[in-house]
Amino acid sequence: MKHGWLGFKAIVAKDIVVELRAKQVLPTMFVLGLLIVFILRLAAESMPTGAGMPIMGAAALWIAFLFSGMLMQERSFATEKEDGCMDGLLLAPLDAGTIYLAKLCANVVMLSIFEAAVVPLVLLSFGLSIDGRWLEFVAVLVLGNLGISSLGTLFSAAVQVSRSQGSLLSIVVLVVLMPMMTPALFALLVLFGALPEEVAGFGSLAFVGSFKAALGYMIAFDAVFSVACWLLFGVILQE
Amino acid sequence: MVAETHSPAVQVNSVSKAFGARPVLKGVSLAATRGEAVCLCGVNGAGKSTLLQIISGLLRPDRGSVDVGGHNTADHPGQFKRQLGMISHKSMVYPELTVTENLNFVARLYGVTNRAARIDELLARTGLTAFSYDRAAILSRGLLQRLAIARALLHEPSVLLADEPFAGLDGSAVEYVLSVFADFVASGGTLLTTTHDTRLGLRCCSRVAVLDAGAILLDRPKEQVDSERFIEDYLSYARSGS
Repeated sequence: MKHGWLGFKAIVAKDIVVELRAKQVLPTMFVLGLLIVFILRLAAESMPTGAGMPIMGAAALWIAFLFSGMLMQERSFATEKEDGCMDGLLLAPLDAGTIYLAKLCANVVMLSIFEAAVVPLVLLSFGLSIDGRWLEFVAVLVLGNLGISSLGTLFSAAVQVSRSQGSLLSIVVLVVLMPMMTPALFALLVLFGALPEEVAGFGSLAFVGSFKAALGYMIAFDAVFSVACWLLFGVILQE
Repeated sequence: MVAETHSPAVQVNSVSKAFGARPVLKGVSLAATRGEAVCLCGVNGAGKSTLLQIISGLLRPDRGSVDVGGHNTADHPGQFKRQLGMISHKSMVYPELTVTENLNFVARLYGVTNRAARIDELLARTGLTAFSYDRAAILSRGLLQRLAIARALLHEPSVLLADEPFAGLDGSAVEYVLSVFADFVASGGTLLTTTHDTRLGLRCCSRVAVLDAGAILLDRPKEQVDSERFIEDYLSYARSGS
Protein backbone atom coordinates (compact mmCIF):
# COMPACT_ATOMS: atom_id res chain seq x y z
CA MET A 1 0.00 0.00 0.00
CA LYS A 2 2.79 2.38 1.01
CA HIS A 3 4.75 1.43 -2.08
CA GLY A 4 1.68 2.00 -4.30
CA TRP A 5 1.23 5.45 -2.79
CA LEU A 6 4.90 6.25 -3.40
CA GLY A 7 4.54 5.13 -7.05
CA PHE A 8 1.34 7.17 -7.41
CA LYS A 9 3.02 10.33 -6.14
CA ALA A 10 6.07 9.71 -8.34
CA ILE A 11 3.97 9.45 -11.54
CA VAL A 12 1.86 12.53 -10.72
CA ALA A 13 4.93 14.65 -9.94
CA LYS A 14 6.78 13.34 -12.98
CA ASP A 15 3.89 14.11 -15.36
CA ILE A 16 3.53 17.67 -14.08
CA VAL A 17 7.29 18.37 -14.11
CA VAL A 18 7.68 16.90 -17.62
CA GLU A 19 4.84 19.04 -19.00
CA LEU A 20 5.96 22.22 -17.27
CA ARG A 21 9.46 21.73 -18.69
CA ALA A 22 8.49 20.52 -22.17
CA LYS A 23 5.66 23.07 -22.51
CA GLN A 24 4.18 20.86 -25.20
CA VAL A 25 0.49 21.07 -24.37
CA LEU A 26 -0.28 23.92 -21.97
CA PRO A 27 0.59 26.73 -24.43
CA THR A 28 -1.51 25.06 -27.16
CA MET A 29 -4.37 24.63 -24.68
CA PHE A 30 -4.25 28.32 -23.75
CA VAL A 31 -4.24 29.42 -27.39
CA LEU A 32 -7.19 27.12 -28.15
CA GLY A 33 -9.02 28.40 -25.08
CA LEU A 34 -8.42 32.02 -26.07
CA LEU A 35 -9.69 31.37 -29.59
CA ILE A 36 -12.88 29.70 -28.33
CA VAL A 37 -13.56 32.52 -25.87
CA PHE A 38 -12.81 35.19 -28.50
CA ILE A 39 -15.10 33.65 -31.16
CA LEU A 40 -18.01 33.06 -28.78
CA ARG A 41 -17.59 36.55 -27.30
CA LEU A 42 -17.91 38.00 -30.81
CA ALA A 43 -21.00 35.87 -31.43
CA ALA A 44 -22.54 37.01 -28.12
CA GLU A 45 -21.90 40.64 -29.02
CA SER A 46 -24.08 40.31 -32.08
CA MET A 47 -27.09 39.64 -29.85
CA PRO A 48 -28.84 43.00 -29.40
CA THR A 49 -29.92 42.81 -25.74
CA GLY A 50 -26.82 41.17 -24.30
CA ALA A 51 -29.00 38.33 -23.06
CA GLY A 52 -26.79 35.87 -24.83
CA MET A 53 -23.77 36.62 -22.61
CA PRO A 54 -24.45 34.02 -19.86
CA ILE A 55 -25.39 31.37 -22.45
CA MET A 56 -22.34 31.98 -24.59
CA GLY A 57 -20.13 32.27 -21.51
CA ALA A 58 -21.25 28.87 -20.18
CA ALA A 59 -20.81 27.35 -23.64
CA ALA A 60 -17.35 28.93 -23.99
CA LEU A 61 -16.21 27.41 -20.68
CA TRP A 62 -17.32 23.87 -21.45
CA ILE A 63 -16.16 23.90 -25.08
CA ALA A 64 -12.75 25.20 -23.97
CA PHE A 65 -12.45 22.61 -21.18
CA LEU A 66 -13.58 19.76 -23.43
CA PHE A 67 -11.30 20.38 -26.38
CA SER A 68 -8.28 21.60 -24.44
CA GLY A 69 -8.72 18.69 -22.04
CA MET A 70 -8.70 16.18 -24.89
CA LEU A 71 -5.63 17.82 -26.38
CA MET A 72 -3.83 17.39 -23.07
CA GLN A 73 -5.02 13.86 -22.36
CA GLU A 74 -3.96 12.65 -25.78
CA ARG A 75 -0.42 13.81 -25.02
CA SER A 76 -0.38 12.26 -21.55
CA PHE A 77 0.19 8.76 -22.94
CA ALA A 78 1.84 9.82 -26.20
CA THR A 79 4.83 11.11 -24.20
CA GLU A 80 5.07 7.75 -22.43
CA LYS A 81 5.26 6.01 -25.79
CA GLU A 82 8.10 8.07 -27.23
CA ASP A 83 11.18 6.55 -25.58
CA GLY A 84 9.59 3.31 -24.49
CA CYS A 85 8.65 4.93 -21.15
CA MET A 86 5.28 3.18 -21.14
CA ASP A 87 7.14 -0.14 -21.04
CA GLY A 88 9.16 1.24 -18.14
CA LEU A 89 5.95 2.01 -16.24
CA LEU A 90 4.45 -1.40 -17.00
CA LEU A 91 7.63 -3.20 -15.91
CA ALA A 92 7.36 -1.60 -12.46
CA PRO A 93 5.60 -3.59 -9.72
CA LEU A 94 2.58 -1.28 -9.69
CA ASP A 95 -0.94 -2.39 -10.50
CA ALA A 96 -2.63 -0.84 -13.52
CA GLY A 97 -5.17 0.90 -11.27
CA THR A 98 -2.43 2.89 -9.53
CA ILE A 99 -0.99 3.99 -12.88
CA TYR A 100 -4.47 5.05 -14.04
CA LEU A 101 -5.22 7.01 -10.86
CA ALA A 102 -1.86 8.77 -11.04
CA LYS A 103 -2.36 9.71 -14.69
CA LEU A 104 -5.91 10.86 -13.92
CA CYS A 105 -4.70 12.99 -11.01
CA ALA A 106 -1.99 14.60 -13.17
CA ASN A 107 -4.55 15.33 -15.90
CA VAL A 108 -6.98 16.85 -13.37
CA VAL A 109 -4.20 19.10 -12.05
CA MET A 110 -3.18 20.21 -15.56
CA LEU A 111 -6.77 20.93 -16.57
CA SER A 112 -7.24 22.85 -13.30
CA ILE A 113 -4.26 25.05 -14.19
CA PHE A 114 -5.93 25.73 -17.54
CA GLU A 115 -9.29 26.40 -15.85
CA ALA A 116 -7.67 28.82 -13.40
CA ALA A 117 -6.55 30.92 -16.37
CA VAL A 118 -9.63 30.62 -18.58
CA VAL A 119 -12.40 31.07 -15.97
CA PRO A 120 -11.47 34.68 -14.98
CA LEU A 121 -11.04 35.49 -18.66
CA VAL A 122 -14.56 34.24 -19.47
CA LEU A 123 -16.14 35.91 -16.42
CA LEU A 124 -14.54 39.24 -17.32
CA SER A 125 -15.01 39.22 -21.07
CA PHE A 126 -18.64 38.07 -20.88
CA GLY A 127 -19.40 40.29 -17.86
CA LEU A 128 -20.70 37.35 -15.82
CA SER A 129 -21.45 37.32 -12.11
CA ILE A 130 -21.73 34.34 -9.73
CA ASP A 131 -23.53 36.25 -6.96
CA GLY A 132 -21.53 34.73 -4.13
CA ARG A 133 -22.10 31.13 -5.23
CA TRP A 134 -18.36 30.49 -5.63
CA LEU A 135 -18.38 27.19 -3.80
CA GLU A 136 -21.07 25.77 -6.09
CA PHE A 137 -19.27 27.21 -9.10
CA VAL A 138 -15.98 25.53 -8.10
CA ALA A 139 -17.86 22.28 -7.40
CA VAL A 140 -19.35 22.28 -10.93
CA LEU A 141 -15.94 22.97 -12.48
CA VAL A 142 -14.23 20.25 -10.42
CA LEU A 143 -16.94 17.69 -11.26
CA GLY A 144 -16.72 18.58 -14.97
CA ASN A 145 -12.94 18.39 -14.85
CA LEU A 146 -13.06 14.94 -13.22
CA GLY A 147 -15.56 13.63 -15.77
CA ILE A 148 -13.58 14.90 -18.76
CA SER A 149 -10.27 13.67 -17.31
CA SER A 150 -11.43 10.22 -16.21
CA LEU A 151 -12.71 9.33 -19.68
CA GLY A 152 -9.94 11.14 -21.52
CA THR A 153 -7.23 9.35 -19.54
CA LEU A 154 -8.68 5.93 -20.33
CA PHE A 155 -9.23 6.59 -24.02
CA SER A 156 -5.81 8.20 -24.39
CA ALA A 157 -4.28 4.94 -23.16
CA ALA A 158 -6.55 2.97 -25.50
CA VAL A 159 -5.48 5.08 -28.48
CA GLN A 160 -1.81 4.54 -27.70
CA VAL A 161 -2.18 0.81 -27.13
CA SER A 162 -4.27 0.29 -30.27
CA ARG A 163 -2.06 2.66 -32.29
CA SER A 164 -5.25 4.31 -33.58
CA GLN A 165 -5.42 7.89 -34.70
CA GLY A 166 -5.97 10.57 -32.07
CA SER A 167 -9.23 11.54 -33.78
CA LEU A 168 -10.72 8.33 -32.42
CA LEU A 169 -10.15 9.71 -28.91
CA SER A 170 -12.08 12.88 -29.70
CA ILE A 171 -15.05 11.09 -31.23
CA VAL A 172 -15.46 8.47 -28.51
CA VAL A 173 -14.85 10.85 -25.59
CA LEU A 174 -17.26 13.45 -26.94
CA VAL A 175 -20.03 10.89 -27.43
CA VAL A 176 -19.57 9.29 -24.00
CA LEU A 177 -19.31 12.68 -22.26
CA MET A 178 -22.64 13.94 -23.60
CA PRO A 179 -24.70 12.64 -20.64
CA MET A 180 -22.51 14.75 -18.34
CA MET A 181 -22.31 17.86 -20.50
CA THR A 182 -26.07 18.48 -20.34
CA PRO A 183 -26.26 18.82 -16.53
CA ALA A 184 -22.87 20.59 -16.55
CA LEU A 185 -24.20 23.22 -18.94
CA PHE A 186 -27.45 23.44 -16.98
CA ALA A 187 -25.55 24.09 -13.74
CA LEU A 188 -23.47 26.91 -15.23
CA LEU A 189 -26.52 28.49 -16.84
CA VAL A 190 -28.21 28.56 -13.43
CA LEU A 191 -25.12 30.03 -11.77
CA PHE A 192 -24.81 32.71 -14.49
CA GLY A 193 -28.48 33.61 -14.09
CA ALA A 194 -29.61 32.42 -17.52
CA LEU A 195 -31.89 29.74 -16.06
CA PRO A 196 -33.98 29.57 -12.87
CA GLU A 197 -33.06 27.01 -10.17
CA GLU A 198 -35.70 24.63 -11.50
CA VAL A 199 -36.86 24.14 -15.06
CA ALA A 200 -40.01 22.31 -16.05
CA GLY A 201 -41.25 21.25 -19.49
CA PHE A 202 -39.57 19.38 -22.32
CA GLY A 203 -36.11 19.34 -23.85
CA SER A 204 -32.76 18.09 -22.59
CA LEU A 205 -32.22 20.97 -20.13
CA ALA A 206 -35.70 20.57 -18.68
CA PHE A 207 -34.93 16.87 -18.29
CA VAL A 208 -32.17 17.80 -15.84
CA GLY A 209 -34.81 19.66 -13.80
CA SER A 210 -32.91 21.61 -11.17
CA PHE A 211 -29.47 22.79 -10.13
CA LYS A 212 -29.29 20.19 -7.35
CA ALA A 213 -30.27 17.44 -9.78
CA ALA A 214 -27.60 18.66 -12.20
CA LEU A 215 -24.96 18.34 -9.47
CA GLY A 216 -26.35 14.89 -8.63
CA TYR A 217 -26.09 13.74 -12.26
CA MET A 218 -22.51 14.99 -12.47
CA ILE A 219 -21.51 13.26 -9.22
CA ALA A 220 -23.13 10.02 -10.41
CA PHE A 221 -21.45 10.26 -13.83
CA ASP A 222 -18.04 10.89 -12.27
CA ALA A 223 -18.43 8.06 -9.77
CA VAL A 224 -19.59 5.53 -12.37
CA PHE A 225 -17.07 6.45 -15.05
CA SER A 226 -14.09 6.93 -12.73
CA VAL A 227 -14.59 3.46 -11.27
CA ALA A 228 -15.38 1.90 -14.67
CA CYS A 229 -12.31 3.51 -16.28
CA TRP A 230 -10.13 2.45 -13.34
CA LEU A 231 -11.27 -1.15 -13.79
CA LEU A 232 -11.02 -1.07 -17.60
CA PHE A 233 -7.53 0.43 -17.64
CA GLY A 234 -5.91 -2.88 -16.69
CA VAL A 235 -7.84 -4.68 -19.43
CA ILE A 236 -6.72 -2.14 -22.03
CA LEU A 237 -3.08 -2.46 -21.00
CA GLN A 238 -3.23 -6.24 -21.29
CA GLU A 239 -4.23 -5.88 -24.92
CA MET B 1 17.85 -9.52 -4.16
CA VAL B 2 18.60 -12.82 -5.80
CA ALA B 3 15.79 -15.29 -5.12
CA GLU B 4 16.78 -18.24 -2.97
CA THR B 5 15.21 -21.02 -4.97
CA HIS B 6 16.18 -24.30 -6.55
CA SER B 7 13.98 -23.67 -9.58
CA PRO B 8 15.54 -22.00 -12.63
CA ALA B 9 15.67 -18.22 -12.46
CA VAL B 10 13.77 -18.09 -15.74
CA GLN B 11 11.66 -20.91 -17.10
CA VAL B 12 9.81 -20.53 -20.40
CA ASN B 13 7.33 -23.36 -20.95
CA SER B 14 6.04 -24.05 -24.49
CA VAL B 15 5.25 -20.42 -25.20
CA SER B 16 3.37 -19.58 -28.38
CA LYS B 17 2.42 -16.15 -29.63
CA ALA B 18 0.82 -14.91 -32.82
CA PHE B 19 0.13 -11.39 -34.03
CA GLY B 20 -3.07 -11.73 -35.99
CA ALA B 21 -2.68 -14.72 -38.28
CA ARG B 22 1.13 -14.60 -38.16
CA PRO B 23 2.71 -16.94 -35.61
CA VAL B 24 5.79 -15.36 -34.02
CA LEU B 25 6.66 -17.94 -31.37
CA LYS B 26 5.84 -21.64 -31.77
CA GLY B 27 6.03 -23.54 -28.50
CA VAL B 28 9.34 -22.08 -27.31
CA SER B 29 10.84 -23.59 -24.15
CA LEU B 30 13.93 -22.19 -22.48
CA ALA B 31 15.43 -22.23 -19.01
CA ALA B 32 18.18 -20.16 -17.41
CA THR B 33 19.65 -20.75 -13.98
CA ARG B 34 21.26 -18.35 -11.52
CA GLY B 35 24.59 -17.03 -12.73
CA GLU B 36 23.88 -18.04 -16.31
CA ALA B 37 24.05 -15.71 -19.31
CA VAL B 38 21.99 -16.82 -22.29
CA CYS B 39 22.37 -15.14 -25.66
CA LEU B 40 19.44 -15.38 -28.05
CA CYS B 41 20.57 -15.01 -31.64
CA GLY B 42 18.36 -14.78 -34.68
CA VAL B 43 17.57 -12.72 -37.73
CA ASN B 44 14.98 -9.93 -37.74
CA GLY B 45 11.53 -11.35 -37.15
CA ALA B 46 12.82 -14.54 -35.54
CA GLY B 47 10.85 -13.73 -32.37
CA LYS B 48 13.71 -12.69 -30.02
CA SER B 49 12.20 -9.42 -28.84
CA THR B 50 8.74 -10.94 -28.57
CA LEU B 51 10.15 -13.69 -26.34
CA LEU B 52 11.85 -11.13 -24.07
CA GLN B 53 8.66 -9.07 -23.92
CA ILE B 54 6.70 -12.16 -22.88
CA ILE B 55 9.27 -13.00 -20.19
CA SER B 56 9.08 -9.41 -18.92
CA GLY B 57 5.28 -9.53 -18.77
CA LEU B 58 4.85 -6.77 -21.35
CA LEU B 59 3.16 -9.26 -23.66
CA ARG B 60 0.94 -12.19 -22.78
CA PRO B 61 1.58 -15.52 -24.44
CA ASP B 62 -1.29 -17.12 -26.35
CA ARG B 63 -0.21 -20.49 -24.95
CA GLY B 64 2.38 -21.64 -22.44
CA SER B 65 3.70 -19.98 -19.31
CA VAL B 66 6.72 -18.17 -17.91
CA ASP B 67 8.18 -18.44 -14.40
CA VAL B 68 10.66 -15.87 -13.09
CA GLY B 69 12.30 -16.69 -9.77
CA GLY B 70 9.72 -19.40 -9.19
CA HIS B 71 6.79 -17.00 -9.69
CA ASN B 72 4.41 -17.49 -12.57
CA THR B 73 4.40 -14.17 -14.41
CA ALA B 74 0.64 -14.29 -15.05
CA ASP B 75 -0.31 -15.17 -11.47
CA HIS B 76 2.21 -13.11 -9.46
CA PRO B 77 3.00 -9.95 -11.43
CA GLY B 78 4.05 -8.00 -8.31
CA GLN B 79 6.64 -10.53 -7.14
CA PHE B 80 8.27 -11.33 -10.47
CA LYS B 81 8.52 -7.69 -11.59
CA ARG B 82 10.68 -6.87 -8.58
CA GLN B 83 13.17 -9.51 -9.72
CA LEU B 84 13.35 -8.28 -13.28
CA GLY B 85 15.40 -5.54 -14.89
CA MET B 86 15.16 -4.72 -18.57
CA ILE B 87 17.29 -2.89 -21.10
CA SER B 88 15.70 -2.34 -24.45
CA HIS B 89 16.81 -0.53 -27.60
CA LYS B 90 14.59 2.27 -26.31
CA SER B 91 16.05 4.05 -23.29
CA MET B 92 12.82 4.13 -21.21
CA VAL B 93 13.95 7.47 -19.74
CA TYR B 94 12.24 10.86 -19.86
CA PRO B 95 14.25 13.40 -21.89
CA GLU B 96 12.86 16.34 -19.88
CA LEU B 97 14.13 14.93 -16.56
CA THR B 98 17.72 14.99 -15.38
CA VAL B 99 19.72 11.79 -14.95
CA THR B 100 19.16 11.84 -11.18
CA GLU B 101 15.46 12.67 -11.52
CA ASN B 102 14.98 9.74 -13.90
CA LEU B 103 16.64 7.36 -11.45
CA ASN B 104 14.76 8.83 -8.50
CA PHE B 105 11.49 8.30 -10.37
CA VAL B 106 12.28 4.64 -11.03
CA ALA B 107 13.45 4.15 -7.43
CA ARG B 108 10.05 5.38 -6.22
CA LEU B 109 8.19 3.11 -8.65
CA TYR B 110 10.06 0.11 -7.24
CA GLY B 111 9.94 1.29 -3.64
CA VAL B 112 13.74 1.26 -3.35
CA THR B 113 14.84 2.04 0.19
CA ASN B 114 17.76 4.39 0.82
CA ARG B 115 17.22 5.92 -2.63
CA ALA B 116 19.83 8.66 -2.54
CA ALA B 117 22.68 6.31 -1.62
CA ARG B 118 21.63 3.71 -4.18
CA ILE B 119 21.38 6.33 -6.94
CA ASP B 120 24.80 7.77 -6.04
CA GLU B 121 26.26 4.26 -6.12
CA LEU B 122 24.83 3.55 -9.58
CA LEU B 123 25.84 6.95 -10.94
CA ALA B 124 29.40 6.21 -9.85
CA ARG B 125 29.30 2.67 -11.25
CA THR B 126 27.97 3.80 -14.63
CA GLY B 127 30.26 6.82 -14.84
CA LEU B 128 27.32 9.24 -14.88
CA THR B 129 28.13 11.24 -11.75
CA ALA B 130 29.39 14.19 -13.81
CA PHE B 131 26.13 14.17 -15.79
CA SER B 132 23.75 13.71 -12.86
CA TYR B 133 22.16 17.17 -13.27
CA ASP B 134 22.03 17.05 -17.08
CA ARG B 135 18.73 16.39 -18.77
CA ALA B 136 18.54 13.03 -20.51
CA ALA B 137 17.67 14.84 -23.77
CA ILE B 138 21.26 16.09 -24.17
CA LEU B 139 23.00 12.78 -23.45
CA SER B 140 24.80 10.90 -26.24
CA ARG B 141 23.63 7.42 -27.27
CA GLY B 142 26.36 5.80 -25.19
CA LEU B 143 25.52 7.83 -22.08
CA LEU B 144 21.82 7.15 -22.57
CA GLN B 145 22.57 3.44 -22.65
CA ARG B 146 24.50 3.81 -19.39
CA LEU B 147 21.48 5.56 -17.90
CA ALA B 148 19.22 2.78 -19.20
CA ILE B 149 21.52 0.24 -17.52
CA ALA B 150 21.48 2.19 -14.25
CA ARG B 151 17.69 2.31 -14.53
CA ALA B 152 17.48 -1.44 -15.04
CA LEU B 153 19.84 -2.28 -12.14
CA LEU B 154 18.50 0.29 -9.65
CA HIS B 155 16.21 -2.11 -7.77
CA GLU B 156 18.85 -4.88 -7.72
CA PRO B 157 17.07 -7.38 -9.98
CA SER B 158 18.09 -11.04 -10.09
CA VAL B 159 17.22 -11.36 -13.78
CA LEU B 160 18.34 -8.91 -16.45
CA LEU B 161 16.73 -8.91 -19.90
CA ALA B 162 18.65 -7.03 -22.58
CA ASP B 163 17.09 -6.54 -26.00
CA GLU B 164 19.75 -5.60 -28.55
CA PRO B 165 21.83 -3.81 -25.90
CA PHE B 166 24.74 -3.11 -28.28
CA ALA B 167 22.68 -1.43 -31.02
CA GLY B 168 24.11 1.94 -32.03
CA LEU B 169 27.00 1.86 -29.54
CA ASP B 170 30.64 2.58 -30.31
CA GLY B 171 33.50 0.29 -29.29
CA SER B 172 34.12 1.72 -25.82
CA ALA B 173 30.41 1.77 -24.99
CA VAL B 174 30.13 -1.87 -26.10
CA GLU B 175 33.06 -2.82 -23.85
CA TYR B 176 31.38 -1.00 -20.98
CA VAL B 177 28.09 -2.86 -21.47
CA LEU B 178 29.98 -6.17 -21.66
CA SER B 179 31.73 -5.39 -18.36
CA VAL B 180 28.41 -4.56 -16.66
CA PHE B 181 26.97 -7.85 -17.88
CA ALA B 182 30.01 -9.77 -16.65
CA ASP B 183 29.73 -8.18 -13.18
CA PHE B 184 26.01 -8.87 -13.04
CA VAL B 185 26.42 -12.55 -13.92
CA ALA B 186 29.41 -12.92 -11.57
CA SER B 187 27.22 -11.67 -8.71
CA GLY B 188 24.75 -14.50 -9.34
CA GLY B 189 22.36 -12.69 -11.68
CA THR B 190 20.74 -14.28 -14.71
CA LEU B 191 21.18 -12.54 -18.04
CA LEU B 192 19.10 -13.06 -21.16
CA THR B 193 20.21 -10.98 -24.08
CA THR B 194 19.31 -10.79 -27.74
CA THR B 195 21.68 -9.64 -30.41
CA HIS B 196 22.34 -9.74 -34.14
CA ASP B 197 26.04 -9.58 -33.41
CA THR B 198 27.02 -13.15 -32.63
CA ARG B 199 30.61 -12.20 -31.78
CA LEU B 200 29.42 -9.89 -29.00
CA GLY B 201 26.75 -12.36 -27.99
CA LEU B 202 29.31 -15.12 -27.57
CA ARG B 203 31.52 -12.81 -25.51
CA CYS B 204 28.88 -12.13 -22.89
CA CYS B 205 27.10 -15.47 -22.66
CA SER B 206 27.62 -18.87 -21.12
CA ARG B 207 24.93 -20.41 -23.31
CA VAL B 208 23.77 -19.65 -26.80
CA ALA B 209 20.36 -20.21 -28.32
CA VAL B 210 19.36 -19.58 -31.91
CA LEU B 211 15.78 -18.63 -32.59
CA ASP B 212 14.50 -19.07 -36.11
CA ALA B 213 10.96 -18.44 -37.34
CA GLY B 214 9.63 -18.63 -33.80
CA ALA B 215 11.31 -21.87 -32.77
CA ILE B 216 14.56 -22.68 -30.95
CA LEU B 217 16.96 -24.08 -33.55
CA LEU B 218 19.92 -24.60 -31.24
CA ASP B 219 20.41 -24.28 -27.47
CA ARG B 220 23.71 -25.34 -25.93
CA PRO B 221 26.48 -24.22 -23.56
CA LYS B 222 29.07 -21.94 -25.12
CA GLU B 223 31.89 -24.42 -24.51
CA GLN B 224 30.09 -26.92 -26.75
CA VAL B 225 30.03 -24.40 -29.58
CA ASP B 226 32.92 -23.85 -31.95
CA SER B 227 32.79 -20.05 -31.86
CA GLU B 228 34.39 -19.34 -35.25
CA ARG B 229 32.37 -21.98 -37.06
CA PHE B 230 29.21 -20.90 -35.29
CA ILE B 231 29.72 -17.27 -36.36
CA GLU B 232 30.49 -18.34 -39.92
CA ASP B 233 27.45 -20.62 -40.13
CA TYR B 234 25.24 -18.01 -38.49
CA LEU B 235 26.35 -15.28 -40.87
CA SER B 236 25.75 -17.40 -43.94
CA TYR B 237 22.33 -18.41 -42.59
CA ALA B 238 21.48 -14.78 -41.81
CA ARG B 239 22.57 -13.64 -45.27
CA SER B 240 20.49 -16.34 -46.92
CA GLY B 241 17.53 -14.92 -45.00
CA SER B 242 16.36 -18.40 -44.08
